[in-house]
Amino acid sequence: MRIGLFVTCLVDSIRPGIGFAAIELLEAAGCEVVVPEQQTCCGQPGYNSGDSKMARALALKFLAEFESFDYIVLPSGSCAGMIRVHYPELFKDDPEQLTRFIALGTRTFELTDFLHRIAKPEKMPGTFKGRLTYHDSCSGLRELDVYEQPRALLAGMPGVTLNEMVESTTCCGFGGTFSVKYGELSTRMADNKCRHIVDTHAGTIAGGDLGCLLNIEGRLRRNGDHATRVLHIAEILAGKDM
Amino acid sequence: MNARERILARIASRKPDSDALGHHLATHPRGPQPPVPCDLKKHFAERARKLSSDVVEADQLSHAPGLIADYLQQKMLPMQGVCWPALADLPWLEAGLNIEARPARDRDLVGITGAFCAIAETGTLLLLGGELTPASTSLLPETHVAIVHPHRIVATMEDAWELLRREFGTPPRTVNFISGPSRTADIEQTVTLGAHGPYRVLVVLVQSAI
Amino acid sequence: MQNRSADFKRQVTIKLADTRLQQALSRLQSRFVEGRTAVISEIHDLQETRDAAAMIRDRALDNLDHWLLHFEAQATRRGAVVHWAETAEDVNRIVAGIAELHGVKTATKSKSMVSEECGLNEALEHAGVKVVETDLGEYILQQAHEAPSHIVAPVVHKNKEEISDLFEKIHQLPRKTGIAELCREAREILRPAFLSADMGISGANFLIAETGSALIVTNEGNGRLVTTLPRVHVAITGIEKVVPTLEDVATLLRLLPRSATGQSITNYVSLLTGTKGEGDPEGPEHFHIVLLDNGRSSLLGGPMQEMLRCIRCGACMNHCPVYQNIGGHAYGWVYPGPMGSILTPLLGGMENAPDLPNASTLCGACSVVCPVKIPLPDLLRNLREKQLVLGMKPRQETALLGIWAWLALHPRLYALATGFIVRFMKLLGGREGLLHKLPGASGWSDGRDFPAPQGRTFRELYRQRKHP
Repeated sequence: MRIGLFVTCLVDSIRPGIGFAAIELLEAAGCEVVVPEQQTCCGQPGYNSGDSKMARALALKFLAEFESFDYIVLPSGSCAGMIRVHYPELFKDDPEQLTRFIALGTRTFELTDFLHRIAKPEKMPGTFKGRLTYHDSCSGLRELDVYEQPRALLAGMPGVTLNEMVESTTCCGFGGTFSVKYGELSTRMADNKCRHIVDTHAGTIAGGDLGCLLNIEGRLRRNGDHATRVLHIAEILAGKDM
Repeated sequence: MNARERILARIASRKPDSDALGHHLATHPRGPQPPVPCDLKKHFAERARKLSSDVVEADQLSHAPGLIADYLQQKMLPMQGVCWPALADLPWLEAGLNIEARPARDRDLVGITGAFCAIAETGTLLLLGGELTPASTSLLPETHVAIVHPHRIVATMEDAWELLRREFGTPPRTVNFISGPSRTADIEQTVTLGAHGPYRVLVVLVQSAI
Repeated sequence: MQNRSADFKRQVTIKLADTRLQQALSRLQSRFVEGRTAVISEIHDLQETRDAAAMIRDRALDNLDHWLLHFEAQATRRGAVVHWAETAEDVNRIVAGIAELHGVKTATKSKSMVSEECGLNEALEHAGVKVVETDLGEYILQQAHEAPSHIVAPVVHKNKEEISDLFEKIHQLPRKTGIAELCREAREILRPAFLSADMGISGANFLIAETGSALIVTNEGNGRLVTTLPRVHVAITGIEKVVPTLEDVATLLRLLPRSATGQSITNYVSLLTGTKGEGDPEGPEHFHIVLLDNGRSSLLGGPMQEMLRCIRCGACMNHCPVYQNIGGHAYGWVYPGPMGSILTPLLGGMENAPDLPNASTLCGACSVVCPVKIPLPDLLRNLREKQLVLGMKPRQETALLGIWAWLALHPRLYALATGFIVRFMKLLGGREGLLHKLPGASGWSDGRDFPAPQGRTFRELYRQRKHP
């Protein structure tokens, strides 16, 4: 299988390690991984701010770079949702492009979804030992039905104990530009999330979207919590958690 | 143009298909419904109890007053009240009850009614207002007693509408679906029974109409 | 009701600091969210039922004129009078006119959000009619001179101590502290009002075209009292509330109470058709039905039509993490939460509610629970698009997003820019690896640190690895 990996703009800039972890996981599952080097942003910030024109331009760029792959995989439910669900909506009045975007969408997967349902590796390279809790990011959960997938993959790692937090599916308050424009509200939502995380006594919070993880980590640290580790699920599965 | 004409002009259908609309009205198709429970009476009683109604069973209609009297006594409620004129002939006095057959007034504490039918899915009573079946009887008193014949228990609200259409054609002024005592959760989302209507509802299931 | 949505941001600050409100909201969340979860699974095939409900509403909306005309004909045949109101002021004028026509001095009222839209109570008081709200929550609010903060649980923002204080003051009776006692006191105070009112005012959850009926769902029984006892009954509702048949309403009623309060059915569902029948010992001699447009018609046939499917259950707000943290008053008008963030700008003017379409993370919790499958996040996004077209977006935001998009379309420059930024931010992050201040993004850094980037972009590291 030839996989096009879209690392996402946040991973590219802030936590490149997540991208490498994703490559390792896909390769360990027997995939050929290609990372198109011209990739940038999926267009979600503009789209969610009401700028469909901008989003369409970036969607076409994405299509040109990724259409040739068997599968397109992203370590983010939010960007994967953009491509799978919202790209077709952006071209609903353009039948020719719409067909291509629908075809693209059906081959586009969030990383854990792809590993669990398509690649089905026998074993995860990671050797994480101990407890962790998992935050379900909104788009992956509600647009792509990603809930069982990361849990199933973690269950295949003998050293991992999953301590579920209450309201793991409630939004952490990130919401892209929302986190800056409505900072106070966003912070309160993050604070609620952090409280639930700390209450699990897991010591590690994992998730599938870097945006949420930055939001959660930012609030934990501001609260003076420098102990709780905040990791992307790919880092744990690939053993890049040190 | 007046307001009516202006609104109608603004909402004019873009692709009216009056045949299809007429067909929908004439056939009034049903949406998805739950599977029909095998024992409607049992299901009704379970659901009614779940919604805080009390349910008792009587072999025959003439036994209903006695059961009602027992219930009122047990709850230390007054042994008097009003009933639907349609139920005037029951042996109330023999059961020790002082029941007047008239619409309820403010101070009446017990109101006894029949029911047009009952719905098993939700444990609901369906009462139709009318000359002999005033709506206030099930509303003003603190205790509402409803006498229901099990053969009038239907599975769903859809079945109840069908029965209404068949037996009445068009609905009377008031059609009330009643599911347990009145309640409010407005203060701190805490459910409190007995808001503006009854504090308790007793359903008497009567096996035989005699 | 006056629209105060433009004050949203300031209200958020106030509401987040209100500890009593925060307690009340967490109670709402646990009761209503858990309540819904417990009973929604009773529905045999939930998704199929939601699809059917959405289709029922769409069928009504696609041919709204047809169904309303049919409704009007049937209602009129049964002796009701149907009034058409284009605006809130029209409603107030029409209802005041009805009161005058029938010599009405006092009116009892059950809960109606449409009447809140119109500010009907003030208008009637002005016309010399004494109006008593009889839904317990609405009664409390009327006495406290406050607006509802939730469409189903209007007084959710108050705790029982506040209500005890209020009742003691206005009723002049010994202070009650238990919830059941407070309810009984309100019952006893309101009973005479029910019995003596000349006119009853209700909303209508649905209008049924087939029979010309208004249908209301209530729990307290006040809805039944105001539609049964007074000699005049006025039902006020939006034009979009019509559904074709009784079977259609049966499907919707399987979803409405479960979605709203976690009840499999409300205590009372009342179908009210025409005036009292011949020989009926009770019931109104006059039945007026007022249909309000107030901007609803402008949504038909456009991208926002799906919003008109709304059956006002409140599940979207109960499940909204924004509503859960600020409550309903912050939204500034009648309808709060996600449905309000869409209806307020659409019915009350985009310019009067600049924040509402944006104050959402688009998390989607609302659309998952919506019984009629309104794609609320899509509609919010659509309103953001409208704002952009109207030039309502802050210049700084559009400029920054424009630069970002331009860079994203030019990968080389993008690589240069991000390469520079991540190095700079890493420097700022210091040994801790945290940025405590983000210039230009204090919204983030006032409450959160920003984890510093690793200092090299993925693309740089990847290229290095491929071509060492």
